[in-house]
Amino acid sequence: MKGFELYDATTVQEAIDLLRKNTDRAVKVVGGGSDLVGGVMKDWVTGRGMPIPEVLIDLTTIKELTGIRIANDGTTIGAATTLTDIVDSKDLQGKLPLLVKAAESVASPLIRNFGTLGGNINQRPRCWFFRGEDFNCYKKGGDFCYAVTGDNRYHAIIGGELCYIVHPSDTATALLALNASAKVVGTAGEKTVTFDTYFIGPREDVLRENVLKKDEFMTHVTVPNPPADAKWGWTKLKDRQVYDFSVVSVATWFTLDGGNWKDGRIALGGVSPVPYRAKIVEDALKGKDIKASVKQAAAAIRTVSRPMSLNSYKVDLTAGMIERTILEALDRK
Amino acid sequence: MARIDAVRVVQDPAYAAGLTDEDWSALSQDPAWQEMVGEQSEFIAPVVAQYGHRIPGSGSAPVTETQVPPIQPKFKILGTDIARIQGYGIVTDRGTYTENLRMANMLYMRTLRSRYPHAKIKKIDTAAAEKMPGVAYVLHRGNLPKEYQDVTLGGANPTRGLFSEEVFEVGSPIAVIAAESEHIADEAMRQIKVEYEVLPAVFDALEGMKSTTPKQWNNNLDGTTIAVTEPLVRGDPNKTGDVTVELVAKKSFEQHAALELTNSLSYWDGDKLNMTYTNQHAHGTRSGLAQGLKIPQNKVRVMQTGWLGSGYGYRSGIDLSELHAAILGKLTGRPIKNMYTRYEDFVTRTHRPAFHNEMKLSANKDGSIVSLRAKVIANVGAQRAGAANGSWFNMQNAYNIPNVRLEAVDVMTNTYKSGPYRCVSHPNGTFALETTIDKAAYAIGMDPVDFRLKNLNETGNPDTKRPFSNPGSRDVIIAARDNIGWKQNWHAPKAKQVRPGVYHGIGLALHACSHGAGSNPSTGQILIHSDGSVQAISGATDIGSGQRTHILMIAAEALGVKLSQITITPYVDTEFTTDTGGTNGSRTTNTGGRGIYEAAIDARKQLLDAAAKKFITDAAAAKPPQTITVTAADLDLVDGVVTLKSDASKKLTLAQVVQSKTPAVIQGKSEYRQPTNWEQTAWAAHAAEIEVDTLTGTVKVLRYVAAHDVGRAINPFSIRQQVEGGVVMALGAVFTEELLIDKATGLPLNPNLLDYRPLSIKDVPTVDTVIVEKPKEYGTFGAHGLGEPPMGPPAPTIANAVYNAIGVWITEMPLTREKLLAALK
Repeated sequence: MKGFELYDATTVQEAIDLLRKNTDRAVKVVGGGSDLVGGVMKDWVTGRGMPIPEVLIDLTTIKELTGIRIANDGTTIGAATTLTDIVDSKDLQGKLPLLVKAAESVASPLIRNFGTLGGNINQRPRCWFFRGEDFNCYKKGGDFCYAVTGDNRYHAIIGGELCYIVHPSDTATALLALNASAKVVGTAGEKTVTFDTYFIGPREDVLRENVLKKDEFMTHVTVPNPPADAKWGWTKLKDRQVYDFSVVSVATWFTLDGGNWKDGRIALGGVSPVPYRAKIVEDALKGKDIKASVKQAAAAIRTVSRPMSLNSYKVDLTAGMIERTILEALDRK
Repeated sequence: MARIDAVRVVQDPAYAAGLTDEDWSALSQDPAWQEMVGEQSEFIAPVVAQYGHRIPGSGSAPVTETQVPPIQPKFKILGTDIARIQGYGIVTDRGTYTENLRMANMLYMRTLRSRYPHAKIKKIDTAAAEKMPGVAYVLHRGNLPKEYQDVTLGGANPTRGLFSEEVFEVGSPIAVIAAESEHIADEAMRQIKVEYEVLPAVFDALEGMKSTTPKQWNNNLDGTTIAVTEPLVRGDPNKTGDVTVELVAKKSFEQHAALELTNSLSYWDGDKLNMTYTNQHAHGTRSGLAQGLKIPQNKVRVMQTGWLGSGYGYRSGIDLSELHAAILGKLTGRPIKNMYTRYEDFVTRTHRPAFHNEMKLSANKDGSIVSLRAKVIANVGAQRAGAANGSWFNMQNAYNIPNVRLEAVDVMTNTYKSGPYRCVSHPNGTFALETTIDKAAYAIGMDPVDFRLKNLNETGNPDTKRPFSNPGSRDVIIAARDNIGWKQNWHAPKAKQVRPGVYHGIGLALHACSHGAGSNPSTGQILIHSDGSVQAISGATDIGSGQRTHILMIAAEALGVKLSQITITPYVDTEFTTDTGGTNGSRTTNTGGRGIYEAAIDARKQLLDAAAKKFITDAAAAKPPQTITVTAADLDLVDGVVTLKSDASKKLTLAQVVQSKTPAVIQGKSEYRQPTNWEQTAWAAHAAEIEVDTLTGTVKVLRYVAAHDVGRAINPFSIRQQVEGGVVMALGAVFTEELLIDKATGLPLNPNLLDYRPLSIKDVPTVDTVIVEKPKEYGTFGAHGLGEPPMGPPAPTIANAVYNAIGVWITEMPLTREKLLAALK
């Protein structure tokens, strides 16, 4: 690993000042560091569009960025809150079990003790070409996607273009389903971005996966309260039960009118360069009897899927898992 | 460098025929040969049979007088659960793991490696790296001292030099850097500019075998084929019975993924190299370093600390990197810390080869097997190696098959180099055979367990006629069958849906392999000091599975002392020990273990002789003086006390006996040669109950039973750990583990623990271990080694259970959800 400078910021303003001061250098904010330091930097994941950081600004030393606040209109979680704190939170277990389950499915207890919510949402993709030092791919500023002709068994089946990564974050998938929004600060001020627009695909900018600019970072996530009578479901299919990313994951909540789908959202992980909202399935279910129509509604995902040479199995999995997750949610007391 | 190509000796009869006595002597010193002796005994057997009398120390001169070790009516120590001597250091991380070692003033080494699978190195520009502050030395082809320019490791054609001009694999070393910190070395390495001429590469064995594939060296065979082994033919292999089944079984590249990365710390003390190194064979490491550096073995001292994050076979010898470290240490005059990265451990060390097996088995409706034909093709990666015919053992020996033809082809490719990985080629042979056996049983409508029992060979090797000793094959099958509840749980394929889309299945497989036999040299020493304390001295390395604890137990049992009276170091230092073979081939119990057993018997004999004398002299000195007759045969040594058998009140302590003689020490040693008259064989049968989810392609193992014939259980605690560990490791290769390559670039895709996916605690079933004891007429107290055999049965056990669950044969490992879902379509 290359040597680097590390600054322990103690306030958001201090972090912004450090970003401003280092604008001409390769600078990054860091949470737990399990991906940025233990992954990207250790493995020299670098390219023209992705210099190795010379300066890191630690956000976990900023008190105001950790903690969970429950209010009447929703829940706000600091970006530097660890995944373990989210998993262990009695409040969240009661209010946002979907997020808790998603957080609990991440990696291992050791990683969750270090990994932060902000870090999990903003981590870089797991594509093995992107992560390989000797593959100079689009995402690193190169001029090729090795997945198109190479081993793409884990790659995108929806929304790939130029680059076929899948978004790696489980919490992001759950938060998209929960209609969360992110508070972002930077040298130019602050803004709030809903998760529906927070992530960006390769067509918009292949070098990044979200709206954050070089001098910006996420400080908080706010989640509106789901309806009290909402059903929820989370399924993450992984090849190894500890320490693995999703092959396909499904996050959903919905309300009922009798046995019919009244309102709700379905988000998918592991299938697209962004956490993917399966609106086509939501629309197919709207007002329908769930048990009678879920199979056909879930199959609608096939119409937006464009599998690659080795990953058509993921299309079947996705359709089947949407169906199974919704039916399990329906049965949950 | 005058050396003999050990692999070619085995693969090329004309080459072997041309060797002089001096060549055979050099071969006996060769670490590659020594590793084959340990790991691939059947691979070298024909050469040993023909030329053994010319190979020093090969023990090929027939030894048929099997000395059955005296077995007491009741063991004092054997058969009890004894914790590791290193246990505290393992569970607290206070153990002296090599990677925890530091020395003042040491330099950190890094290696720049080829990013092309086949290329010529045209130019190396190290100027920028050398200018970086903190860089102490950059060593490469251009400035390698002349004396090392002809140094190679492994076989020739393709040849691996210290910095080869032509490289055959991604990861081949191009330059090494010694720097003040790892950060500096890492950065400097990336400042070196290399100009490559990229050459055509081949990754697939079947592609490599084609006559149209470009040759990469002056090769008489097609493409990159290394060896086509003389087929093993028995009877008329073309004979067929009522039903003939065929299948193609494939296994991918697997890597050991040991927890501790390969690493060493070395320094020169004058003209003597001292290296502490993560190895399974300290003396083999020493001979490798001595050969590579062209210095005598007594100028090399190798330490193995006794705490090792496992070995699994890939740590028997050295790699080029250890020679680089030694040379850098000499050139800089400073200690060198050489810590591999996980990428390097995955890519540049050895692997289980990828295999392709074409199987055909014919049987009659009455359940008798008529014929077996098998062609095994091994992709041995970027080197000269042999692995294919190592898959024959089970096919040759497990069942009575009158007509057999076994073929084997080894193919070089520009991919992962093969080498011993826990049970080497045997699991492949067992996977191929045992899925074929099941397929045949289902085809004739017979219970697969009954089919196995009907055809079981319990006599011996049908071709060499060497007998098995007290084989436990039937016992392990019955134990696995009954413990899994086969009779209640077995059903027709796809007959038991337990939940919507989820099917129950059950499978069983038998494994026979040659690992666990004893081999030469078997040495050891026992010292009984003047205070009566006992020290066991052995060169057998402990690689995490308790070998040195077992050696201590064997020594105490054979000598007749309490465990508390005897010690052994966890570490091996080549300065003060004798070679007793590597901890490979599951052979330590019967190799280092037999060596220490013999030394203990020798020490016991000396001690009892001295005690007899002391009884006589004591009696003569008594008042009034008595004349008595006592010989060693009249004495016993139990729990560290010598007693007169006829009068148990007459006792001597060890201290009293040793102090009665001059010098006041007893030195027991071993002069043992292993017997050659047995087909020494490990037997295991595993059975599993599973559920297959046809929506997700997930296979869940509900119950797992592993029955092993261990001959004699030395330490049941270790046996259970070895079996559980082996099953978990093998299930990794069943479900997730395969080291992938990008077919466009030849670059590795998943050389890290995240993407290679060794199984986690939540992925593995509880393993129900059944220990079967059928003592052998060889070995240490009749034991047969166990480290590797648990790797054999899991793949066919699960593949057979999957067939039983969903009625589809999946004979390509790993059995991933995409393969399973595709097979169901």
